Parts: sequence; structure tokens; C-alpha cells
Amino acid sequence: MISRGMAFLFLLLTLQSQAFAHGGVVEEDDICVIKVNYLRAHFKIYQPRVSGHEQFCEDLPAAAESVFVMEFMHDALQTMPIDFRIIRDVTGKGRFARMEDIEAIDDLDAATVFYQSATLEPDVYSVVHTFENEGDFIGIVSATNADNGEVYAAVFPFEVGFTGWGYWPLFIGILVLIQIQYLAMSGRLKRWFAKSSPAAILLAAMLLPMSQPSHAGEFIVTYTTPDGPPELNRMHSWILYVESDSGDPVEGADIEVDGGMPAHDHGLPTQPRVTEDLGDGYYRLDGVRFHMSGDWEMFVTIRSDESEETVVIPITL
Amino acid sequence: MNTRAPIIVIAVLAVASAAWWWSENRPPAAWSEEEILLLESLWLESLPDLPPDPTNKVADNPTAVEFGRALFFDTRFSANGGISCATCHQPERHFTDGLPKGVAIGMSNRNTPSIVGTAYSPWLYWDGRRDSQWSQALSPLEDPNEHASNRLMTIANVVEDKKYWRMYKSLFGEAAGVDTMYANIGKAIAAFERTVMPTTSRFDEYVAAVVADDHERQAALFSDDEVRGLRLFIGEANCTQCHNGPLLTNNEFHNTGLINLAGEVPDKGRILGIREVLEDPFNCEGPHNDAARKECSELAFARTGPELIGTFRTPSLRNLENTAPYGHKGQLATLADVLAHYNEAPDAMIGHNEAKPLNLSDRELAQLEAFLRTLAAPASFLPD
Repeated sequence: MISRGMAFLFLLLTLQSQAFAHGGVVEEDDICVIKVNYLRAHFKIYQPRVSGHEQFCEDLPAAAESVFVMEFMHDALQTMPIDFRIIRDVTGKGRFARMEDIEAIDDLDAATVFYQSATLEPDVYSVVHTFENEGDFIGIVSATNADNGEVYAAVFPFEVGFTGWGYWPLFIGILVLIQIQYLAMSGRLKRWFAKSSPAAILLAAMLLPMSQPSHAGEFIVTYTTPDGPPELNRMHSWILYVESDSGDPVEGADIEVDGGMPAHDHGLPTQPRVTEDLGDGYYRLDGVRFHMSGDWEMFVTIRSDESEETVVIPITL
Repeated sequence: MNTRAPIIVIAVLAVASAAWWWSENRPPAAWSEEEILLLESLWLESLPDLPPDPTNKVADNPTAVEFGRALFFDTRFSANGGISCATCHQPERHFTDGLPKGVAIGMSNRNTPSIVGTAYSPWLYWDGRRDSQWSQALSPLEDPNEHASNRLMTIANVVEDKKYWRMYKSLFGEAAGVDTMYANIGKAIAAFERTVMPTTSRFDEYVAAVVADDHERQAALFSDDEVRGLRLFIGEANCTQCHNGPLLTNNEFHNTGLINLAGEVPDKGRILGIREVLEDPFNCEGPHNDAARKECSELAFARTGPELIGTFRTPSLRNLENTAPYGHKGQLATLADVLAHYNEAPDAMIGHNEAKPLNLSDRELAQLEAFLRTLAAPASFLPD
């Protein structure tokens, strides 16, 4: 079984490679490369007034004059009009922002801090922008193929005024997850879970990756299983996270849970119950046990003041 | 034994520091034969006679020189009547202006290059976007940031001045097409500019003393630091890779990784200049070239391609202390800044820095600077 930490790492990498498949900035053999669809250019950013000739690939240390340079590695870029836009990150996707997220922005101009309209640059492409503020930004480079009118784009999220920690927080997060996974496998987490305070469980829930969301009406339910993935014939607990479709956590809901195997027309062997409202939309569900392998469905019925909906969560053992 | 140990340590330290002091301060070694040949190659005496300019039939005509000198200093050839060639190319500043970028009607795009000795250069401007002194002289007249005039106004200014019109007619005959007349005016200015040459500096006198093997005179002319600086210049510091010949320039294009000017994208330099000169209607291949048989080998064989990105023409180092600030955008304020830049040789923002880090000590940099100052000598040109 793949450990959950590894799975999460894998998920991250997959997400990243998906982003780059559509175009972005990556480091390859120590050089920074921007991929605009299949077209590549050596990418570098300078902050000459504060860092002299030092090159940066994505994140920039200071809100200062920044010179973005693309040296084409593919001749086609020399014949394509290129435009260059920098926006404040209004997507909320951070590092995982993709072209679809940019396209979904209602007022791109309002978020734009720099725009260089399309120019044909046969030699080397460069733009200069002075950042007024630190923060999260997204760069969008678009190249138009004169032959077929197709627009190729690269999207690269970056931070201005970064801490210099780089990917360390991500690494530490992954290490924590791997450790939690280890504890779960060894059963220690289970013992800890049984006697821990709601606050500690809530913290654990926030650290653990959640399942794919399931929808019904206005509710979205995700869950995690802090004792490790559900195993056959083992009593275990879930943490449910209930949010409205606007993304707000649903607090203080009355929740009933049942489940069964549709193919076999029978229910769960137990009667699970929400035993604790952990706050912030998190609920502790105890008494879950599956006694057959195959496709199960969990029915989570949420009653709030206005409505009642049953969210169906599919799970395969 | 134990009582002797400190004495031995002190003795060793004393010998070591004496050796260090000696190595740093002993008189510089005599010049080798190879070095003397190099020094001679940089000597102003070695400057060949000015080659004829067949593209400009009045290049060496005294009337053209006089006419061109008058035009060079005449502020009427500008939109506001206040700008002449000499506004930026000031004789007392070795035909530069002391500014990072030239200021005339507006601000020009680059540092004002000197005119001194450019008659020897196949290319003009930092990016070599002109291929003769006369075609170069035409371009500032019509640049909106420089004279902001135009060719019709320029011709009218000549025709309306009796003395100018008389000189023009004696050189080029009666009125002709606008571009022809405009090119002729440029050729007169170039005739004057051909006379703007460097003069003998202390360095040249020193080389004369070296060639004459006159050690007493050498010692009187150059301090030990200047000699060491010169040795670095022709040796370890690699300066003569580009700053060679009696004008201390190869007039070619190099990327030395200078930083961009604040608020500007990095200057692409020669890669733009080569395109422009190939398209220039006043270039060597154009109809205004006076040569019976157009031999435009520089233009025909000029290098193109991406290695020209961010390259700029090597400036002459003669009288350079009078040409600050330095660099195509005047990025470097002092000679010490220039030397510190070459000592570090950082990666170029665009293209590739051809220079390699020198890793010279502060003392060596100071010696190099001391040598460079021995190149001080005003330019000569036809006086008023």
C-alpha cells in the first residue's frame, strides 16, 4: 500500500506536471525554462537595483524593479507576437494556478499590475516592471501562432518578497504527513485519537488530505480517516468536513450517517454516529466498519435550519 | 629548546613579511621583447595614415573641412535653434558630454560616444547602426530627441546662409535632390570629423622611452604603479583583447554584461544596429556613395546572428578619464566602477558576457586605473 504521505506527494507532482503541460516555468538541469506550450525559452528574472546580476527563476526577494528575460530555445517564438501580463493572484490557487483559472477571472484588467501588449521580438524578449508591493503574483506569457491563430500560453505563479524558505514549508508538511501516516499504521495515532481533545483532532484533520468532494444540494462533504485507510472488518473513525457550495464551513449541523452496498442491497453492519462537533465544519464520525469488499456508499444526511440533503459518498474496499 | 621556539617563529614571520614587502614593492621587471612589441602596437606613433574615404569625395577637401566645422558648431540646425553637434560632442570633454545619456531637445537613448578617431572605425554608434562618419552625421539632425530638425530644414539652413551656400556650391555644385543635398551636408560634417584625432599622451611618451631603451626617461615618466598597471593591461587583465591598436579599440562589438539602466529593459545593442545599417538608405551600398566602384566589404561581410545580442562597440580608451560616465547607458560613473565590473565579470542579463572574472586585488585595480590615467591627452581638431 502506498503511504498517504507519498500519495499526497505524488498528487502534488501530478498537479504540477499538469500545470506545466499547459505551460509554465520549470528548472531543468540548473537552468530556468519557460514552456509556452511546446515552445521553450531560457527564462530569467533580475532585480538589478537590489540584487545586481543575480538571476531568479520564479520567486523574487523584493518589491523592486524586475527585468524578465526570455532567451528563445525554439526559433518559432521569434516569429510569434508575444504578450506578457502580470496579475495579482486572485485565483486562490497559488502555485497550482492554471490557464483555466486565469480564464475564469471576471475582470482580468483589475487584477493586472503589468501588461505588455503583443510584440514581435526576433532576438531576445525582455520586459521591465517595478513591483510596488510584496505578495503573490501570476505571470502569463501568450504567444500567437501566425499560421493558425492558435494562442499558446505559459502561466507561472510567483511570490514577490519571499521569505527565502523556498519549498521548505511544503517539505515539512510532507514530512509531517509521512509521520502521521507512520503513526496511523503503527496504531499509535488510533490510541492518541481515542483520548485526544477536539482541538487536537481538529488540527490533525486539517493536516490530513481530504477525500474527493461529494455534493448534494448546497452541501459538499469531504472526509478523512485519521486511523489510516478503511480496512475490512476494522472499526474506525472518520472526520467529516461539511461546507456549503460557496465554500463556507457548515457549523452546528445535525448529521445522520448510514451506508450500504447497492449491489448487494444491504446496509452497514454498524450504526455510525457523529459523536463530536469539532467546529469549523468538522465532525467526528465514530463506529464505521465495513464487512465486505466491493463498492459501498455512505449516506450523510445534513440538516441545517433551512434544508435537509443527503450526500452520497462512494467508497471502494 | 623551548626558549628558542618563539625566536624561531618571530624570525620566520620577519623573513616572510620582508619577502612579501619586497615582492609587492620591488621595482617592476624590465619589459620583455614580446611585451615591447605589444606596447608598440598601442603606441600612437603606430597609427597608420588615415585611409581615404572613397564614399565621400570631399572627405579630405579643406573647404569641406571648414564648412563641416562651421556646421558642427552651428545651433541653427535644430528645432529650437539651441542644439548643435557640439552640444553633446563637446571638444573640451573629448567630444562627449559628461552625462549618462545625451541631452539635447530630449534625452537620447544612449551615452554620447566620442568622435575622436572614429574616422578609423568601420562602424559608428554604440550599436554600429551607421557605416560611415557622413551617414552618421545625418541621423542626429532628424532624431526627435537630438536636433529634431529634418532634411528640408537642414538644406534650407545651408541655402539661406550666403557663406554656407557658397561653400556648398563650390564643393557639390548646384541644388539637387533632397537626399543628395542632405547626404552632401553630412559629407562636409564628416570632413571636419575626420580631422578630430587623439594626441600624444604620457603613455605614448613612455612607449617612446621603452623603444629607445631609455630607462631614466621611463622612470621619469611612469611610476612603479603605472608600470604595473600597464603590465596588467597588456597581460593578466585581458584588456587588449578588445582595447587594442593605437586607438585602444578594435571597433568591434562585444557583450560585457553591463547592467540595465533603471527602468529600462536591457539594451539589445548590435543585433538591432546591424539590421538598421543594412536598411540605411545612406549606407555604403546606397546611391549616395561617391565611390566609382562600391567596395562595401564591411557591410557585405558583417556578422549577423544571436551572438550580437547585447553587444556594443568597444570605445577608445584614449583620454578616457575625460569621457565619464562609462558604458552604453553611462551605467558606470567612474573608472574604478568600470574596473570593478570587469573584475567581477557577472553574467549578462541578455546574451553572454564575453569577459571572464579577473580576480585582481584592490591594489592591482588601483594600478590599472593609474595606468589608464596616463592616456590623458586632449583631442586635436581644426581650431576656429
